Amino acid sequence: MTKRTVALLGGTAMWLVGAAANAQELNALVWCDHTDDALIKPFEEEFGVTVNVREYEGTGAALALLEQSRPGDWDVLVIDGIDVFRAVESGLLAPLPDDQLPTADFFPEIVMAENNTLDGVTYAVTEKFGYNTISYNSEKVDPADMQDLSTVWSDKYAERISIYDYYLPVMGLAAIAEGVATADIDAKSLDTIGPVLSQMRSSAASVAGVVAAQTALATGEVDIVVGGGEWLTAVLAEEQPELTWTIPDQGAVRWTQSIGVLADSEQPDLALEFVKYIVSPEGQARLATSACFWGMPANSAAGEILNDDQKSVLRWDDQTDYLARTQLYPAPDADLDVEMQDLWLDTLSQ
Amino acid sequence: MSAGTGTKLGWGFVAPALLWTLAFFIVPFLVMGAMSFATLEGRSLVWGFYLDNYIELATRAYLWRAILVSLEITLTVTVVSVVLAYPLAAIIAFRVPPQWQRLALLLAILPFWTSYVVRSYAWLLVLAREGLINQTLINIGLIAEPITLANTRFATVTGFVHFFVMLLTLTIYANLVQLSPNYRRAATDLGANAFQTFRHVILPLTLPGIATGAFLTFVLCIGDYVTPQVLGGNNELTMPQVIMVQLGRRADFPLASALAIVMMAIVMLAYLASARWLRLDRV
Amino acid sequence: MRMAAWFYLVLAFGFIYLPVGTLVLYSFQDGTLPVPPFNGPSLQWYTEVLADDDVTDALFNSLIVAIGSSAVAVLLGFLAAYGLARHVLPGSAFMRGLLIAPLTVSYLIVGLGLLIVLNRTGVGLSLVTAGIGHVVINLPLAFAIIYASMGAQHENAERAARDLGASETKVVLLVTAPMLAPAIAAAFFLSVTLSWDEFIIAFLLTRFDITLPVEIWSMLRSGLSPRLNAIGSVVFLISVTAVLVLEFTMLRRRQS
Repeated sequence: MTKRTVALLGGTAMWLVGAAANAQELNALVWCDHTDDALIKPFEEEFGVTVNVREYEGTGAALALLEQSRPGDWDVLVIDGIDVFRAVESGLLAPLPDDQLPTADFFPEIVMAENNTLDGVTYAVTEKFGYNTISYNSEKVDPADMQDLSTVWSDKYAERISIYDYYLPVMGLAAIAEGVATADIDAKSLDTIGPVLSQMRSSAASVAGVVAAQTALATGEVDIVVGGGEWLTAVLAEEQPELTWTIPDQGAVRWTQSIGVLADSEQPDLALEFVKYIVSPEGQARLATSACFWGMPANSAAGEILNDDQKSVLRWDDQTDYLARTQLYPAPDADLDVEMQDLWLDTLSQ
Repeated sequence: MSAGTGTKLGWGFVAPALLWTLAFFIVPFLVMGAMSFATLEGRSLVWGFYLDNYIELATRAYLWRAILVSLEITLTVTVVSVVLAYPLAAIIAFRVPPQWQRLALLLAILPFWTSYVVRSYAWLLVLAREGLINQTLINIGLIAEPITLANTRFATVTGFVHFFVMLLTLTIYANLVQLSPNYRRAATDLGANAFQTFRHVILPLTLPGIATGAFLTFVLCIGDYVTPQVLGGNNELTMPQVIMVQLGRRADFPLASALAIVMMAIVMLAYLASARWLRLDRV
Repeated sequence: MRMAAWFYLVLAFGFIYLPVGTLVLYSFQDGTLPVPPFNGPSLQWYTEVLADDDVTDALFNSLIVAIGSSAVAVLLGFLAAYGLARHVLPGSAFMRGLLIAPLTVSYLIVGLGLLIVLNRTGVGLSLVTAGIGHVVINLPLAFAIIYASMGAQHENAERAARDLGASETKVVLLVTAPMLAPAIAAAFFLSVTLSWDEFIIAFLLTRFDITLPVEIWSMLRSGLSPRLNAIGSVVFLISVTAVLVLEFTMLRRRQS
């Protein structure tokens, strides 16, 4: 090998190392639907950066993790829509420029300024939504019964239902069944919700997480999942089309997730670009159909990119009706949250 | 103790483990202990000496139930696992030809290496209404209708026992093979039958090993979250499940710490109780 | 009696392999759901899992963390057991208690405590920090198992070696360690196994490089799929291979 080749190789190597060191990395704390290559790769290629994603479970856990972190550790956060205020109050989120977000194209109910904005400053933007409602096996139960919440958990279906293991949507459903709006839930209305939960609990064979609930439905262990929805049943419906979901006459609970830039980010511009990519029609379509779970995109312009099959699984054409009939997750303050959780744990352990 | 081995040398052997434990366990644990006396004001942590968390513990019925449920499950699992694992370890140690023993032992613990979380879900399938057990029982005519096995305490205990039988077989076997065959031979020479040999010779000699394994089972079982969460169907709540709820949504570290300290106190009591009962001064 | 023993052995192995059998069977499921009925064999889930870089990376990470942390835990545990069993030290009962103490605390608390302290000291999270956590939980086990097997019968051999002029290091390495080999091996296997499968500490103390249980946890969020069964089966296959290789190389060495 000539000296010149060595020098050339060395130079190339140094250039490569330098490039690697200079390549920007974006660190995102996300839900599992943000980890698909199909979603992340296009952004990485366009900006020549690497996106590191880390999944988490539970807002409390994420906030604790962020509070324990050093500046620059995290750039982007995906968080439950009703919990944005908790992150803002802890000073974790940076303001977002309203004029650069396509909220005009969003489903109007999903912009949720009251959740994403504080004192006129926007801190997060909604990216995806769906429903916590009733999933069921249409061959084993009477679909007409599923339209009435109190029939669902009546003794008629005792031991044939499973309850989704998250207290907020399930208590929201209990409130809706009793005619209490989820936004109006207070300490007093827990007296109304308590007996409904007890009734639900006594009819239920189990209180289950995502996979346990899916297993129970697919193996015939139970025929109904209270708190389920498209995100639970879609993966099963391909092989067992009798597993489906509905929104009862009284309505159901709507979940949303938001995305924002962290105040401690050392590359806020790149982080903002990522947020903008996620809420763009292309990003939205990819997010809606992620491998982890499907859900409606917040930006209705994604409808031009999704194909007809995808839209029919998402029940795109029913959204106007669904949005009108569903209510947002209960969003309790810290004290009420404690009371709700205590009631839930108390009912569960009975 | 030979005179030539000095105290200084002894410290040298113990120091690395002690330092590691101090730095990475005691210090964090003290922080955790201090945190159980802290309190949350809104989202921010206030250090101090507040008894709020312990008062809450004392006044919430579900926390007491969780303690009770955890204890019941853990004791059942520990007893059943020891009773099932001991004969298995003994058969491997005394009946299986020596050249096959290690293979038999490894076969007995191999399933450990399928992921624990995935394995719990596999139990859910085995115990399901259309699962292997129900189908077998129906086929041999023992039952006419499938019985509910999944999402019950039975399922939780089964999942745990499966895990701990493997673990205990390993620890008890390690103990059994260290027994000199002379003990057994001597007992037989003295006219003892197999049961007497076991009762008066082998069992007493292996008690320390059993106690180690049983105590380990107790601790791992009482602190585990995944098995009851997956298999129990939340039909009753254990302490770790309650702790996880405090952490996941609320990040109530002070209350979670207080719960953890209560759990640790229970384990300490179990340790003291078993140590005295079995006259153990080691383990 | 002999028949009963073999019968029990078969039953016990049946129980131990029941969930594994089900797990492996449904990893070959031709369909998207790993539940009865079994639709006939397909390798599609294996192809998918093995092509997934995240899974193979996590598998490799788990292996490194398990072996590394177990080696450290067994070494420290053995030394401490030897020191406490063979030397008269003031407060040795207290030290034994201290070394065992991490056993009495759930993994969750070990992980959280470490997380807080590590962050305060500015140490970044990585596979190393997860390994440190695993040493904390495995050290007491290694210590307890080795200490419990350090009977008086071994002491005579050590004394004999010392009387013959062996140095302390030689006694430990050439007399004590070989005599305790079964216990040391048991402690190491147990440590590797527990570390390999440990979720909560690895979850709290890693960042972007994660171990297999953490990867599996995130796959669980995405719902029921035979992919999980395939991963479980691949892991099982790897361990069977490792054990058989160990078994045959060891046998061969002994025969020669």
